Amino acid sequence: VARVELEIPSRSAYVAVVRLALAALARSRGLDEEVVDDLKIAVSEACANAVLSNEAAGIDAPVTVGWIEDGDRLVVDVGDRGEVYDPNDPAAEYDSQGFSTRSLMSFSLLSSLADSCEMSPRPGGGMTAHLVFRR
Amino acid sequence: MGFLRCLEEGLAVELGIDVRELDSHAVVDVQGEIDVYTAPKLREKLIELVSEGSYNVVVNLERVDFLDSTGLGVLVGALKRVKAHDGTLALVCTQDKILKIFKITGLTKVFPIHDSVDEATTARG
Repeated sequence: VARVELEIPSRSAYVAVVRLALAALARSRGLDEEVVDDLKIAVSEACANAVLSNEAAGIDAPVTVGWIEDGDRLVVDVGDRGEVYDPNDPAAEYDSQGFSTRSLMSFSLLSSLADSCEMSPRPGGGMTAHLVFRR
Repeated sequence: MGFLRCLEEGLAVELGIDVRELDSHAVVDVQGEIDVYTAPKLREKLIELVSEGSYNVVVNLERVDFLDSTGLGVLVGALKRVKAHDGTLALVCTQDKILKIFKITGLTKVFPIHDSVDEATTARG
């Protein structure tokens, strides 16, 4: 089991750093370019959500990113210290004009591009996005 | 300049935005990665265009390497603005990896998506 951990300041400029680092890791492990593209988007979504969640809560805590390889599974955990919410009761999905909100589009991308995506409350506050990719 | 400052100000991701007029449309050529860091720059440019009276806008995504939900949110916001003036917002995109993002989020039904800028500026609606 190989494990890599990253911690970034909770600012939008650093999301690209995680995206590039994890794409490089995924490529070095021989993942198909299509899976690498999916992983880049899903990881960016999870990191953007974490940064925005910290920002909304007014908390300047780092965003933590964990990468674990376990056989044919790649697991990426992204943690924030923002508001804790019930993942089964998401925020408003459509705006007053019937357009999808950014958070709904983000959720659609995460659940389509990762083989699985689960949100859970994090010990000590905040949420963790738990993403699983298969080789 | 410290490393972190440097990273935030330039090394992170670049987004190039150029605007030109073509057949009564404002064509916005975007180049680079549209993410949570760069999307505000695109939002500001699109708001500026609409406030200056450009209500028929084409956003050319052919040289965009990366697009996430914050970029999609900016495009939806711009669509709402031009629609308030009975305008149009069309996209140009032939890259599978970018088209996939529009398909997953159902936005292929919301935006006209064309294969070329010429096709987008001559299309009706």
